[in-house]
Amino acid sequence: MIRRLVRRLGSALLVLWAVATLTFVIADLLPSDPARMIAGPTARAADVARIRAQIGADRPLAVRYGLYLRHLVHVTEPAAAAAANKTEHADCASFGPLHLDLGHSYTQRKPVVAVLADRAPRSLLLAVGAVTVQLFVGLLAGLLAAFRPRSWLDRTTIAATVVGTSVPTYLIGLTLQYALGHRLHLLPLDGFGRTDGEHLVSLILPALTLGIFGAAYYARLVRDDLLAAMRQDFVRTARAKGASRLRTLLHHALRTTLVPVLTVVGLELGALVGGAVVVETLFRWPGIGALAVSSLLDHDGPLILGITLTTSACIVMSNLVVDAMYVLLDPRMRRAS
Amino acid sequence: MSWIRERLLPALAVALAAGLLASAPGCHEPLQAPEAAAHPDDLTPRRGGVLHLATIDDIRSLDPAAVLGGTEAQLDPLIYAGLVDIAADGSLAPDLAESWDVSADGLVYRFVLRRGARFHDDSEVTAADVKRSLERALHPSTPDPYASFYESLAGYADYVAGKAPHLAGVEITGPYEVTFRLDHPDATFPKLLALLPARLVCPGAGERYDESFVACGAGPFKMTPGGWERGRQLTLVRHEGYFRPGLPYLDGMNMIFSMPALTQRFKLESGALDVVSELSGPDATGFRADARWASSRAVEPFRQVWGEAMNVETPPFDNVEVRRAVAAALDREQWAKLKPGLLRPTGQLLPPTIEGFRADLPGQVYDPAAARAHMVKAGLAGGWPKPIPYLIVKQDINELTAQLLAEELAPLGLHLDIRLASYPTFMARTHARGHAAISHQGWQQDYPDASDFFEPLFSRAAISDTDSNNMSFFVDDRLETLMTRAHREISPEVRRALYDEAGSIVVDRAPWAFAFDVSSLRVWQPYVRGLRSHAQYQYPIATVWLDRDPREGKLALGFGREERAGFGLTSGSGSAR
Repeated sequence: MIRRLVRRLGSALLVLWAVATLTFVIADLLPSDPARMIAGPTARAADVARIRAQIGADRPLAVRYGLYLRHLVHVTEPAAAAAANKTEHADCASFGPLHLDLGHSYTQRKPVVAVLADRAPRSLLLAVGAVTVQLFVGLLAGLLAAFRPRSWLDRTTIAATVVGTSVPTYLIGLTLQYALGHRLHLLPLDGFGRTDGEHLVSLILPALTLGIFGAAYYARLVRDDLLAAMRQDFVRTARAKGASRLRTLLHHALRTTLVPVLTVVGLELGALVGGAVVVETLFRWPGIGALAVSSLLDHDGPLILGITLTTSACIVMSNLVVDAMYVLLDPRMRRAS
Repeated sequence: MSWIRERLLPALAVALAAGLLASAPGCHEPLQAPEAAAHPDDLTPRRGGVLHLATIDDIRSLDPAAVLGGTEAQLDPLIYAGLVDIAADGSLAPDLAESWDVSADGLVYRFVLRRGARFHDDSEVTAADVKRSLERALHPSTPDPYASFYESLAGYADYVAGKAPHLAGVEITGPYEVTFRLDHPDATFPKLLALLPARLVCPGAGERYDESFVACGAGPFKMTPGGWERGRQLTLVRHEGYFRPGLPYLDGMNMIFSMPALTQRFKLESGALDVVSELSGPDATGFRADARWASSRAVEPFRQVWGEAMNVETPPFDNVEVRRAVAAALDREQWAKLKPGLLRPTGQLLPPTIEGFRADLPGQVYDPAAARAHMVKAGLAGGWPKPIPYLIVKQDINELTAQLLAEELAPLGLHLDIRLASYPTFMARTHARGHAAISHQGWQQDYPDASDFFEPLFSRAAISDTDSNNMSFFVDDRLETLMTRAHREISPEVRRALYDEAGSIVVDRAPWAFAFDVSSLRVWQPYVRGLRSHAQYQYPIATVWLDRDPREGKLALGFGREERAGFGLTSGSGSAR
């Protein structure tokens, strides 16, 4: 099992390197000029040229890529780092002697690692909130529907899931914002607040928006998988031995259903930590998603690279965790390992 | 029956939900009534209260040495004072300078500072701060996009090249007296001293630009600790040591960033925002049609011109007759209907707020017959054989103007191939030589002067292979002479005459087909008093006061209330005189 995890870790690193390289090249190939984006539309050619030289954008692509990779992850003894020129490690996040340098954001005017360190916890909070809503509502609805298939409850659940998966998140968000924020004054329209309590209150609308959208999918998934599992031999055996329908549903069928649910949760959580672009923008949630929009619009290369790498790392990591969880949940996987 | 249950019912549910959702978010909802001023007949300003504003934009920096423009350029003047400032009517007004004089040859400017003016850190403003602040902004390591505006200063070239440690043209001639020496006369120089690079920063800012600098100047408002949360909000409080006694009236202001237009409208109605100026088209129409808001709305000009820039180096626009044909084909009145009341058709370069605008200049006018005649003169009676690529950014009304333009040029045989691009791509393509034959362009003033329109758009010096502001790559020797003379001419009357002739040349030679200038609708709650239109600033709030009864002040659930609490206030505004 350890060997399998190490192999997965190696391939994960390869994926991250490929993502970094591809993003670097694509960001450079785009017909845009970071110096012009810093200087603004009315700046004169002389000022744009001076800024281009300041950020090093006048160097060849290969030189910039080489410098980027060299700086990305490097090892420096703390004493040596302190002795070195202060600016040399100004953009680094240090983990002991290990330094991570994602560059300097032109538009945010601070190190990319600092920008991401500021934003990532907020996206994580939103992701956890959204997935919690998705799981709670989705599992509950799926269980209820599967408990009495073809009943009015089941049909209502199916109809609700069709609606939930058909309506785009921005429309769900706008409706919740209008109803709960503007009309009923129950929740703030948007923002993040200042205190922990305000953060939690602010979280409700965006988490509900993402939650309603995702819950519909989970409900469908759980219902269909449960109904399939209920036709399996081991469930019929349990029923034959006198277990009630509810007990077989919860104790026997649900366990097998959790494996695909876990896969989706892992991928969803990874993607959401990487930023829920529309919802974060709509609710002015200061996470990575809203940042991704502005960095793309501004063609802020280092920030685009940093966000892409962070998102990829989140998805890769969540895949690794899901792989490990499979082994814990499914005895067949343990035997295979 | 089963297909009804399994197919029809879910489909009906979707249709019902979609219908509900589409009609839900306030599209057709009547506006709420504004909140009246507590003492509408009393014109005496009251001190106290916090003004709540919002914008869809975000800001990158509050350092006047590295400000991009847009919202941050509008906010910085609240924090930083300069020697001079732009007055509401666009004229030059004293700020930290008590007086100034200029030598007869226009090469030496001597400014005398007010005594006793204080920075936000309570240090006194002296002549040394003027020199230090300007040198800090123009230093070669500073990413100041406006540095080259000051190239007429003696010693500028050596300083920005790193060959001289100081700007030779800025001399401290007394503790409260500073003298500027120019290499050549520059009529725009006094106005340049009102721009952000010349605004004074606290001594703590040091002599060199540093990204960790915390905003500190001598303007009417100052930053609170942690007052700027990037991407979220900016909080400023009154600078008690401001050199204009009694000002500002407000205790402070709070600006929320990245707020969508619809949310701004909701928050204005709920009382969480006091002023908005970024309404969506339907909401702007709603406010304009509602008589209850009649006395608390105004159309604010943006001081910008929009039109079609034609690259005179690229066929078929290398032919002046084709350019004239395009200029005559634009039905500007039709275009203005895209934003009723907010677009003003124009056939000339300067907006009406700029000195040099001529109401009597016919400019480029819509005349389809003349357009066809110009095409015949160009030898293109049958039109241009190939589609002409036309790049636009997908924002605001650009796609609509592109379609109108394509329809209006088609009868001339000029067929546009409309291509959407991201803003960075658009900028890179249209500022580089040989990439765009024609493009939809706008130009917004950096400061209210005709030179800021003519020189960047139509001078030889503004042409560059990769970073050209002269996006039509247009050069005219007579125009060049006129612009150079006007730039150096001190007499306003002579300058005006020179720009009159320059304006006629660009209308006739048509490097641009001028189309419209733009305004926005500003709406405020009636208890916001003293809000006036300004030639340069969108937020001239130093003289704004709040006339709101604290007992009637509506509270929006959310963080408006907490932000007010952050200023040590209750709901609404303090109204002690």
